[in-house]
Amino acid sequence: MAFAHRRDGRAALLYLLPAAVVLLALLAYPIYQLVVISLYDYGQPQASGAAPLVFLGVDNYVTLLSDPRFWDVLLTTVVFAAVCVVGTLLVGTALAVLANRARTVPRTLLFLAALGAWATPTMAGSYVWLFLFDQDFGLVNEALGSLGFDGMRGHSWTFERFSAFGLVAAEIIWCSFPFVLVTMYAGIKAIPGEVIEAAALDGASARRTATAVILPILRPLLMIATIQSIIWDFKVFTQIYVMTNGGGVAGQNLVLNVFAYQKAFAGEQYGLGAAIGVVMTVLLLLITGLYVRAQRGVR
Amino acid sequence: MKFRRTLAVAALGALAIGCAPPQASNDTSGQSEETTGELRVWLFQEASNAAKEAVVDEAKAEFEKAHDGVTVNVEYLPVDGRASRFNGAFNDKASAPDVAEFGNTDLAGYTASNGFADLTADLGSWPDSKDLVPEVLDTATVDGKTYGIPWYTGTRALYYRTDVFTELGLKPPATLDELTATARQIRAAKPDLYGIAVGGKYQFALLPYIWANGGDVAEQDGETWKATIDSAAARAGLSQYAELISEDICPPAACAQLTGSQSVAAFAGGKAAMTIGGDFNRAAVDAGAVKGKYAVIPLPGKTEGSIAPAFAGGNLLGVFASSKKRTLALDFVQLLGGKTYQEKMFGAMGNMPTFTDVQDRVAADDPFLQPFIETVQSGTRFVPSTPAWTKIDAAGVLPTTVQQVATGQLDVAAATSAAAAEMNEAFGS
Amino acid sequence: MRRGQLVVDVACVVIAAVVAFPLYWMVLSALKPAGEVQSANPRPWTGAPTLDSFRRVLDVENFGLYFVNSLVVALLVVALSLVVSFLSAVALTRFRFRGRTVLVVMLLVAQMVPVEALTIPLFFLMRSFGDVVPAIGLNQLGALVVVHLAFSLPFAIWMLRGFVATVPDELAEAAALDGASRFRFTWQVLFPLVAPGLVAASVVSFIHAWNDFLFAKTFLISGTDNRTLPLGLLVFFKPEEQDWGAIMAGSTLMTLPVLAFFLIVQRHLVSGMAGAVKG
Repeated sequence: MAFAHRRDGRAALLYLLPAAVVLLALLAYPIYQLVVISLYDYGQPQASGAAPLVFLGVDNYVTLLSDPRFWDVLLTTVVFAAVCVVGTLLVGTALAVLANRARTVPRTLLFLAALGAWATPTMAGSYVWLFLFDQDFGLVNEALGSLGFDGMRGHSWTFERFSAFGLVAAEIIWCSFPFVLVTMYAGIKAIPGEVIEAAALDGASARRTATAVILPILRPLLMIATIQSIIWDFKVFTQIYVMTNGGGVAGQNLVLNVFAYQKAFAGEQYGLGAAIGVVMTVLLLLITGLYVRAQRGVR
Repeated sequence: MKFRRTLAVAALGALAIGCAPPQASNDTSGQSEETTGELRVWLFQEASNAAKEAVVDEAKAEFEKAHDGVTVNVEYLPVDGRASRFNGAFNDKASAPDVAEFGNTDLAGYTASNGFADLTADLGSWPDSKDLVPEVLDTATVDGKTYGIPWYTGTRALYYRTDVFTELGLKPPATLDELTATARQIRAAKPDLYGIAVGGKYQFALLPYIWANGGDVAEQDGETWKATIDSAAARAGLSQYAELISEDICPPAACAQLTGSQSVAAFAGGKAAMTIGGDFNRAAVDAGAVKGKYAVIPLPGKTEGSIAPAFAGGNLLGVFASSKKRTLALDFVQLLGGKTYQEKMFGAMGNMPTFTDVQDRVAADDPFLQPFIETVQSGTRFVPSTPAWTKIDAAGVLPTTVQQVATGQLDVAAATSAAAAEMNEAFGS
Repeated sequence: MRRGQLVVDVACVVIAAVVAFPLYWMVLSALKPAGEVQSANPRPWTGAPTLDSFRRVLDVENFGLYFVNSLVVALLVVALSLVVSFLSAVALTRFRFRGRTVLVVMLLVAQMVPVEALTIPLFFLMRSFGDVVPAIGLNQLGALVVVHLAFSLPFAIWMLRGFVATVPDELAEAAALDGASRFRFTWQVLFPLVAPGLVAASVVSFIHAWNDFLFAKTFLISGTDNRTLPLGLLVFFKPEEQDWGAIMAGSTLMTLPVLAFFLIVQRHLVSGMAGAVKG
């Protein structure tokens, strides 16, 4: 190490300082504040300084955990995120394998299309999908109608709970599979041909080569893609907010993030909203932590 | 080593600054009054906003001409998502606008959050204020202090399509039960029309149903309020309303999410045979496909000859407590809320003025207004006047209940019990 | 084998078409005349393309300004985040000091934090900041810049760390022999060498800042001059009557810069992602 002399500590401090300041002030401190706010009765009068603060202790958590609606939203969020993660990984990996086998021109086309989906901003993507599935002017209903499904004309895709979630999930998978595709494709390409040849020479079947040779090599990549997807899909906000008009009929399409937003910024219960945020953070850390651990165990 | 110590010190410092959530300071002393610059105004987006924009633009031009170096920036907010916008403004004084239109139902809540400036003294010295209808001025008052100029009052009644009724040989409904039957009959005869356009998010159409059935959403019990939405009478009203949002009247897929102005827009666009609309929706309906093909009667009650109690709606123009341009803001409120522009708003939108003399001048012999006046005379009601109402409204408690019942997610008993619990919690805090 | 190859290639092209279709539909609807967009019989082509919808969003709705606002925020985030994260990455790979491993682990954990959950505390924090430094207070674009800077740092540092680590030590030694200071080496040798990593990191930061809807919606309270694109689009989505042509035009405008950015850097992007993943 060329610069490993005794003044490294001070230099490092200097180099790290900007990042440290920003991260402490805007990430660490807010996390601490999130917990603090969740312990208070912090409504609109309190926030605007018209009423004194009341320390509640864990009351917000008690309220939250005894609210059946919260459990419903929590369960929904977990299941919805799981569907999106699995869908994204399956589509992305399958297409990576496909792309690996395809010739240059089809592969380039696929990559260009994926790049386009990837580049589409969340907001724009949500509106395009909403428009494609629009009740009156959407192409999908029109196409289904002209194929003989007359009942589909004027059909609302966002009214039924599962159909609305399905539509949002489709949009999410559409714009997030490219990341998996690119990552996994790079991973497959990086496997040296000799490894596979060697396996074949040893008499391993194609299936055995895939599970015993290729998969272990790809595992770390798959793990990263999975964690990224979990993080993204667990805290989805824009798509649900835009595509289901703030959480759907009677809040049937609420996920935790939108639920917290509605509680806090519309319902004026910032304390309760913060408690939801804490639960969400802990849960996400727990899920990713457990996942990483499980993967370590496999190796 | 040193680095870690610095980290620790920084962390401790952060802990010391914030052991409690921050509160905004309400100290406005020493704040200098600004007399130039941008005056930010929030108004509500209506079913046909162009007419409103035209009048407001005129007021804006007049105001800018009279005040050098002042520009008026008007932003139109959807009524539906107003809560998060207003809360944001109450939270950060520096970013709040100067003037806003707000509904009289939100007055108690906004006042509890120090949202709007006390205008009692200013109105006292405003000569025009003596002509304000006293009952209407009361709706702008909390604990003897006035927080806004009543801009217009609104009453809702039943709009129906005369051409459709004639064609099908129908009489306008005389009771709420008849209304349901008529709506169903129309949809059966004309499947591309909604029998009546009402929506899950149309709270002010729901309330008359609850009241006409003898119920109420909550009642005052000394200092506190208690939800009564789970009483038998209120449940009857709610289920009667929710019944309208069904496949054979107003299909839930389209209607469960409709708000008031969307319901009116559907009627104006010729998609419905009836709707519950306000006198202030007149321009919106006339701008649509049904101009000249509709009539209005009071929304009937449970028995023939009775009228369902209407919600005493009305919007106020107020000055934000945090405004640094208080004088300018007040000037603008007095211009836009003054007699001249109230009259123009009546002409453009149908908004009922709040000045006795203006009301007499424009409304005395307008046959269109007759059903609305009748409705008012037979008695109007109001939502619980407590700060908690803003919260209940923002949390969408009643719309959620209607949607749950209309879509069959819950039965009336379960849905209203949950709503009552949520309301009582809001009242309690 | 021949036939199998053909099946694979055809499948690839068909899937590419399906994936690209929403984008095609977006641009097409933006170019259709109003009557064709709001038609009960939508057709997948148009005989009379027009820029009317674009004119509507740009002239009437001031989208040009929102576009510039979004661009300013995203570019500031990218520039600041590159410099700051590069410095940290250098410190974390080329310097030896106690607690280095702890910091690296903390970086990993920081990436798992759902930043959206921090909306509430950040909202009140920005309110306090505004009292001291108005430019980063609520209702200011500056507030968006600083929060997105903070969110993008953990990933950017982590990603660049991998790239800095691959630069051989001999290079630094050679530079030191030539008399180059550590500062000069860092900026004139190391910085250009990790360019692919910088590109990948900047893409991620750019997209985060450009896409942001939640923070813009909470932080930007009043006034119309400081809106970013997602907010502009939201306002445009009127509950009563939707002008789909204009919404699609706005969406197209919002997508174009990211798409252009992606196409320019695509080669680096793939190698950058792969590098980050390996590092």
